[in-house]
Amino acid sequence: MRRAARVGGLSPQAAVVLCLLPVAAALVSLCIGRMGLPLGEVLRGIGAALGLDVTLGDQTEQILWTIRMPRILLALLVGAGLSVSGCAFQSLFANPLATPDTLGVASGASFGAALALLMGWHLLGVQALALVCGMGAVALTWLSVAGRDRTNSTVILAGIMVGSWFSALVSLVKLAADTESQLPAITYWLMGSFNSAGYSSLALGAPPILLGMLVLYLLRWRLNILPLSEDEARASGTDVRLLRGVTVLCATAITASCVSMCGQVGWVGLLVPHMCRMKFGNNHLALVPASACVGAAFLAAVDTLARSISSAQIPVSALTAVIGAPFFIALVRKTGGWRL
Amino acid sequence: MRLSVEHGSFSYRPDAPVLKDVSFAAGPGDLVAILGPNGAGKTTLLRCMMGFLRWSSGRSLLDEKDIRTIPHRKLWQALAYVPQAKGAAVAYTVEEMVLLGRASRCGYLGQPSREDLKEARQVMERLGLTALAKRRCTELSGGQLQMVLIARALAARPQVLILDEPESNLDFRNQLLVLDTLSELAREGLTCLFNTHYPAHALQRANRSLLLGADGETRFGDTAQVVTEANLQSAFGVRAVIGEIETPYRMVRDVVPLEAADGSAALTAEDGRAIAVVAIITTDYEEAGQINALLHTCKPYIVGRMGMPYPDGGVFIINVTLDAPETVVRCLVGQLERLPGVSVKTTFARPEQERGGTDRGQPGTAAQAP
Repeated sequence: MRRAARVGGLSPQAAVVLCLLPVAAALVSLCIGRMGLPLGEVLRGIGAALGLDVTLGDQTEQILWTIRMPRILLALLVGAGLSVSGCAFQSLFANPLATPDTLGVASGASFGAALALLMGWHLLGVQALALVCGMGAVALTWLSVAGRDRTNSTVILAGIMVGSWFSALVSLVKLAADTESQLPAITYWLMGSFNSAGYSSLALGAPPILLGMLVLYLLRWRLNILPLSEDEARASGTDVRLLRGVTVLCATAITASCVSMCGQVGWVGLLVPHMCRMKFGNNHLALVPASACVGAAFLAAVDTLARSISSAQIPVSALTAVIGAPFFIALVRKTGGWRL
Repeated sequence: MRLSVEHGSFSYRPDAPVLKDVSFAAGPGDLVAILGPNGAGKTTLLRCMMGFLRWSSGRSLLDEKDIRTIPHRKLWQALAYVPQAKGAAVAYTVEEMVLLGRASRCGYLGQPSREDLKEARQVMERLGLTALAKRRCTELSGGQLQMVLIARALAARPQVLILDEPESNLDFRNQLLVLDTLSELAREGLTCLFNTHYPAHALQRANRSLLLGADGETRFGDTAQVVTEANLQSAFGVRAVIGEIETPYRMVRDVVPLEAADGSAALTAEDGRAIAVVAIITTDYEEAGQINALLHTCKPYIVGRMGMPYPDGGVFIINVTLDAPETVVRCLVGQLERLPGVSVKTTFARPEQERGGTDRGQPGTAAQAP
């Protein structure tokens, strides 16, 4: 049995802390809300769900399992997913500014969702069409540079073009939308929100995210090859085209699925991987799991804030930026930033 | 392992071939220098050789097997590539970077094992990188980074090592360290090939050299026969002298460029025509046959010839007068000099414009005695 040499991986202490982070965030989030629940009540509720003999008020149960839990699960999932996919894209393009949206996936998914809302589809329909259109946008980007000399900058440029094309389509859809009901729905969806969270939506959206993250997690050491130059990468004995293809597919599936469930949540995919790089270095052995944990905790926390600081729910993506950007700048100033 | 290229040709565009019919081979213990002016296709040659670019015609062989038929992972366990350290490194720590060299020996979903780490640390120890293990590659100097990249390549335990200008952009000391490392690796039986801008490095280190001319002409063979004044002039368009510097420990061969010259002119027979007398003395009668064979290759240029044994002195004397392109004369002299027991002296007639008054000797005489 080959034993792993833990070079550049997470230390056991760091691993424990990182694993506890999302759990803690979830527990705290379960307590906080329009109706505050004490931690003891929440723990009893979890105990009841696990089959222990604890009695729980109907209302508490309703709040815990129907309202808060799916929403928190969604936030955890999306936070982890966007962070991992952002991390993958940054390495893929050896570019610290790459985000999950670099290949146009979010714009594509937004168009899909807007179109479905325009046609008055059911929520699950909106989600499905968003997923399909998001993947389609990336396929379009990939095809538009196929057969040519595929350098990072041409791919990124193509991604920007495809993204702006889909953004324009979204505008056209908005123009056609009914200003009374459809337009606000589309606009609100585009701002990103976890309002619509429910178990059925999770059941459709979670598998691509989990699967994508699993593959990227398994490939995590191999991902270190990606930022190297083309020749170096090939000289490592890696099938670079396959590795790139798998990475793009996974990161895209994750992002499209995230966007399809909760609209565009910006910033997480850029912010969290950067924070983790500053703390844990560039080795994906540590970076992938760290990004997932930190991203999950971060988004769960931000969403809790979004739904609790005012009675009118604040769009999550507005908050991620409002909180994240200053925090990020402070971190850069403290650590001197990082280089890919 | 033996790496060879058979009749390799390559062009980015059909009308402008970069490499024409390149053939060479390198076996265990060979240190091969690839020389050529900018744009001659040195890097292109490396990339074609390793399969990064597809030969337009011809092929690369690893132990007589076309490298295109060798599975990717297998190929890169035997072959390792060291790119130029141009400061565009990723901010991994040195240890992480060297460990990446084990990628061809790890499972696709796997992580490096303890054995991999041991190998990596051994290589780092050997190249003096242990103290830098936790430093980031972006913080290293050019020389250190180049060593890290060599270490990464060696971590895969390759049998063939290919380096792209490993000593460019480095200072004196670091150039020496890199070259010493290469010499040592070759002595241990590795097949090493490297691109270089320095003919002197080829002369001092490489046992075989491949010279790419700007005109697509290539010369391959023992360094002493390839890196000659005449060949350098025709490939680089530089008149250079090759000489020896004596140190207390050994003789060091060096190249000193003198002036830019029209390399192609030296090749066209009419312009660079020189009249020269080549005087040969050999102590070995057996060599006479070989000398004659060499002279025979220049037969059309030979104007006069005299052979005289002098048994009392134990020598054989040959005098040849040539009317030939200068390169031909220098090439011939270069080859003669390499025969054991042979002394050669060349005397050139002064070029026409200088005959008549001016007293400058250049390129009048260029005498060399081994």
